[in-house]
Amino acid sequence: MIMKDSERTEYFDRNAIEISKKYKGKILTLPKVPITGLEDFSSLYTPGIAAVSKKIEDDKELAYELTGKWNSVAILTDGTRVLGIGNVGPEAAIPVMEGKALLFNYLGGVNAIPMPLIVKNNDEFIATAKAIQPYFGGYNLEDIQSPRCFFLLESLQKSMEIPVWHDDQLGTASIILAGAINALKLVNKKKEDAKIVFNGAGAANIAAIYLFEAAGFRKENIIAIDSKGIIEPGRADIDALMFKNPWKYKIALETNGERVQGDPANAFKGADLVVSASISIPGTIKNEWVESMNRDAIIFALANPLPEIWPGEAKNSGAKIVATGRGDFPNQINNSMVFPGVFRGVLDARSKGVNFDIMVAASQAIADFVENPTEDHIVPSMEDFDLFPRVASVVARKCVESGLARKSDSTEGFYRTASDIITKNRNIYNKLFDM
Amino acid sequence: MINLVNIRLMEKKDIDGVMEQLLRLKHLNEEFDPLLKVSIGNEKEISEKLGRIIDDRENHIGLVAEDGKRLVGMIMSDVIFRIYYDPKYEARIREFYVIPEYRGKGVGMKLLDKLRELASERNIKMITAEFPSLNLLASKFYESIDFKELIKIYSKIN
Repeated sequence: MIMKDSERTEYFDRNAIEISKKYKGKILTLPKVPITGLEDFSSLYTPGIAAVSKKIEDDKELAYELTGKWNSVAILTDGTRVLGIGNVGPEAAIPVMEGKALLFNYLGGVNAIPMPLIVKNNDEFIATAKAIQPYFGGYNLEDIQSPRCFFLLESLQKSMEIPVWHDDQLGTASIILAGAINALKLVNKKKEDAKIVFNGAGAANIAAIYLFEAAGFRKENIIAIDSKGIIEPGRADIDALMFKNPWKYKIALETNGERVQGDPANAFKGADLVVSASISIPGTIKNEWVESMNRDAIIFALANPLPEIWPGEAKNSGAKIVATGRGDFPNQINNSMVFPGVFRGVLDARSKGVNFDIMVAASQAIADFVENPTEDHIVPSMEDFDLFPRVASVVARKCVESGLARKSDSTEGFYRTASDIITKNRNIYNKLFDM
Repeated sequence: MINLVNIRLMEKKDIDGVMEQLLRLKHLNEEFDPLLKVSIGNEKEISEKLGRIIDDRENHIGLVAEDGKRLVGMIMSDVIFRIYYDPKYEARIREFYVIPEYRGKGVGMKLLDKLRELASERNIKMITAEFPSLNLLASKFYESIDFKELIKIYSKIN
């Protein structure tokens, strides 16, 4: 199985380099107004266009109605934690950001622009992000190392009037929650009672813990584990966390009501759900740990490319439902099911922000999209194109209800808008590649 | 939780608990500067020193916060005679620690208030506090209660 996997990986690597050589980039700015002759530019550009500028000068918010701002998102990165390959720098992050931009456009009809930044520190990142804001209706932070990503997300969310999202945290957390909702439903367990272990305390799992709390799970029933073992306030390194990673520090104080200590094995005992974003080596989660879990155990082994335990092993050890990060096993936990719809939604509502309540609504919508969940089908797949406008409409409506929207509509109205934008966008693709 | 926390003078029976907290505090200081690296295996000396400090109430004020039998915080200060200045006496906080679970709940403030009260009874009119320069949370805490920076300590390995 590992051999087959490495062969496939090599094939993808070769192919990616060939495609990049051939196309030299993956996105393109295209005109979206018909041009019948150069005289059109008297209205598309100067002198006529000055009248539009004057209108926006009087009311900046009109930029949403008279320009492409409403549908433009910047993908901001400093290239400090690109995929699994680490701190490769902003230039080397470009191919990844272009791929992300393509997904944004293809699945969500969003014009996303890669924006890798050369910045020395957090303050420079924030100053730059604020400076380039005028054209953008939203920001997606991408591939930024932890704990910097928490600081940047929190600072920008507080200080900006557009939604700021960090997909590695929030997108992943939302799809984990969606999967957890359906998995727990299948085994008839209530979120208030569920004992959950988060194995690994990176950006995604930390964000997921906060999201689960917002969704009504009980913090006392959550145990987080990092490379040093179970996180609890008595641990000697917790004081330093207060300075280095206050988000993880807060988790150390507020979770783990029973103050379980030590080895991961102690946390697995009696757990209902384990969400693992840890080391990509099968066997990281041991069979006997799974055996010690509660009946109808649920395992999300999300490390890529190799899960912390193979699904077959987990099932043999008594797990009822297993999800991974991979598309070649059932139940792929993939943030690409989240961000296109979320962004379509916040953009359509011209939202001033995004928050955990909106994310909980998005996760619930993703969970509900699977009409009859089964052990091997707890989350939608990327082929479920209708998922994206569905999620968008719920998100947009939630923005209205939270008082963040600049534009109001019903859920059905937002669904029609989102569906229309995504369909028209896909028609453009079809025409482009008919050529 | 805070209502149940009792503040009292440090006693000999507190030595082990206080030492554990002191070591946690010193290990936190390590994060700020390599010159604050904690040396290992000094428990006996620390314990003896704490014993002497607790006995010497003339020159030290030490307090602990406890919730039931559990030690949840402590503050230790030296009483300093200011020969050149007025006011003549200051209580300088050298050690101040609250365990993580009890932070942000007013325990530190309660310890500090009790220290001020005892100092004032002894006509000690000035309270100072020392901590590593890079401990910005400590700076923020003291500034929020109107302390201001007074003296700086610079260092260089000889």
